Amino acid sequence: MGVIVHLLGTLVSLWPNRSRIKNSKDLFWEPISILKPLKGYDSGLEENLKTFLQLDYPSYEILFSVATFEDPAYLTAKRLIETNPHVAASLVVDPTHLGPNPKVNNMVKAYERAKNDLVLISDSNVRVEKDYLKKLSRYTRNKEVGMVTATVSGTEAKGLGGKLEAVFLNSFYARWMKLLFFVGKPCVVGKSMLFRKSVAQRFGGINILARYLAEDYMAGEAVKRLGLKVILAEDPVPQIIGQLKFKEFWSRHIRWGRIRKSQAFIAFMVEPFLLSVVSSLIGCVLFRSLFSVSPFYFIAGQMTVWFIFEIPTLIRSGSKINLEVFVIWLFRELLAFPLWINIALGNTVKWRGKELRLELGGLLAPDCTI
Amino acid sequence: MLADFHVHSTFSDGKLSIPEVVDLYGKRGFGVIGITDHVGETHTVIGKAAGHLGLCLTKATFPLYMEILRSEAERAWRLYRMVVIPGVELSKNSISNHRSAHIIALGIDKFMSADGDVADIAKMIRNEGALSIAAHPVDSGKLEKQTFHLWNRRAELALAFDAWEVASGDRLFPQVLNSSLPKIASSDLHIARQMTSWKTVLDCERNPQAVLEAIRKQELQFRFYRDNTHETIHPYIHSGYRSLVDNGSYRSSTGNFSQSLAQ
Repeated sequence: MGVIVHLLGTLVSLWPNRSRIKNSKDLFWEPISILKPLKGYDSGLEENLKTFLQLDYPSYEILFSVATFEDPAYLTAKRLIETNPHVAASLVVDPTHLGPNPKVNNMVKAYERAKNDLVLISDSNVRVEKDYLKKLSRYTRNKEVGMVTATVSGTEAKGLGGKLEAVFLNSFYARWMKLLFFVGKPCVVGKSMLFRKSVAQRFGGINILARYLAEDYMAGEAVKRLGLKVILAEDPVPQIIGQLKFKEFWSRHIRWGRIRKSQAFIAFMVEPFLLSVVSSLIGCVLFRSLFSVSPFYFIAGQMTVWFIFEIPTLIRSGSKINLEVFVIWLFRELLAFPLWINIALGNTVKWRGKELRLELGGLLAPDCTI
Repeated sequence: MLADFHVHSTFSDGKLSIPEVVDLYGKRGFGVIGITDHVGETHTVIGKAAGHLGLCLTKATFPLYMEILRSEAERAWRLYRMVVIPGVELSKNSISNHRSAHIIALGIDKFMSADGDVADIAKMIRNEGALSIAAHPVDSGKLEKQTFHLWNRRAELALAFDAWEVASGDRLFPQVLNSSLPKIASSDLHIARQMTSWKTVLDCERNPQAVLEAIRKQELQFRFYRDNTHETIHPYIHSGYRSLVDNGSYRSSTGNFSQSLAQ
């Protein structure tokens, strides 16, 4: 079963997205407000933000937001605004606390000040091409589209954790994102979320998302419940991973996995059967008993085939194919099941210095700070 | 005005989004609808599974549900002069039909749990100023999950509910019809095709308070609504009650059918 789903995922990940309007030369480019919630100094922050000040788009504004003046990102954003007067950029400092989600708290005032109906929420650790906004906004010309998101590709990874993260984003994650959209179960990623304020107002605006840890997922759910489409853009958004230790990779995936578990418990329970190692072990037992195939050869063969299927997705995400990538990929696959066990054993997550408790559906418990 | 107080959306097991439901009823000139998505129990396997499968509202999705209902109620009023009342169908499902019960809470403004005894749930609903309605309390005659628990305890619970469904979808329930219980007729709509069904007719002001009060006072009538797009559906009427039916509107030989029901 795992192999079939894996192959299907690979095929879907290569399938072109035909939702956007292609002939865009004479079309009106609707003004966009970009929200950039910032906290701390991420790897390559200044370079990442600069790419948003150099976008090839007729009319857009950028609203940087930080919770306090003491935030290390405050000075960076201020400096960028001063040195780029040609862009309508501003900085909002606001300590509003609407709920346990610090990202939503951070950007809620900036969202209120956004002048345009089309709003893009973009994380600080993504770096984009000049035509990024044009590519994204094309999808919104279809009135049935309520939100546009994108997969993330990992780049500039350093350290074992960083390399594991990059391989994960460029293979497993990219494949599953596309597969979920293909089967009509879209999963929105907060690193790049384009939507209309007028649509968000219909589900209570972004304020209501402050109570969820995965505000992006819930925003997508709300858009779907309004009967609108959630679209996955064809091009991935490059995320600058930078230096990441193994421990950071591990805790990050525990957090991500537990959110996933709280939101889609049944899918989470099926996950192990779709992992390469578990699938290989099940297969090797079956093939040994039925055809007396050597377990070693079976596992080696299946893992090789699995990696070969992974190659197109890796290439599409901008990853190189070499021995190092293979070894890192294999290591991540071996980690996947122990990681799943660890995720299954808890309901709390650590995020930005706080320990939060998750309830069914991704809601943060009222007494969430433990 | 035509009314339907038992309608589902994609927030539980309905196939239409809330905006689609609003347009479906608004374009047909309805005066009031109650959107009542399922809320499952949190400590039973069936309830938990329904929550995980997205077949019922949870604490997590409820805030979005209420916000969308609020904005759609505004739109419904602006476009169609139709009132949208928020509600939930508290669903206690068991393997046994006799232990299963569905209770509609109409006119809610906060999340309600389906856990606990049905008498306590009905009391809780009323304490919140909402209406408690016993949903499809007898055999619906369809191949579906039946919910007999409320009917089995009707003597004890008669006063706990503001209304009992005398009809659900295209089925009229003779047992409820012949009882002295307060009544209401609804479609239990999950798909557009189920528009062709029994509805309640009210003659009151178009605002939620007036509508809820009219149900409490039983100032209502019932009518079989035949949707033009689904003309092939005919109401299922028990043989003993066919004389009440006159080409889709329902009257007794002694007067208005609704009067005989309300007594």
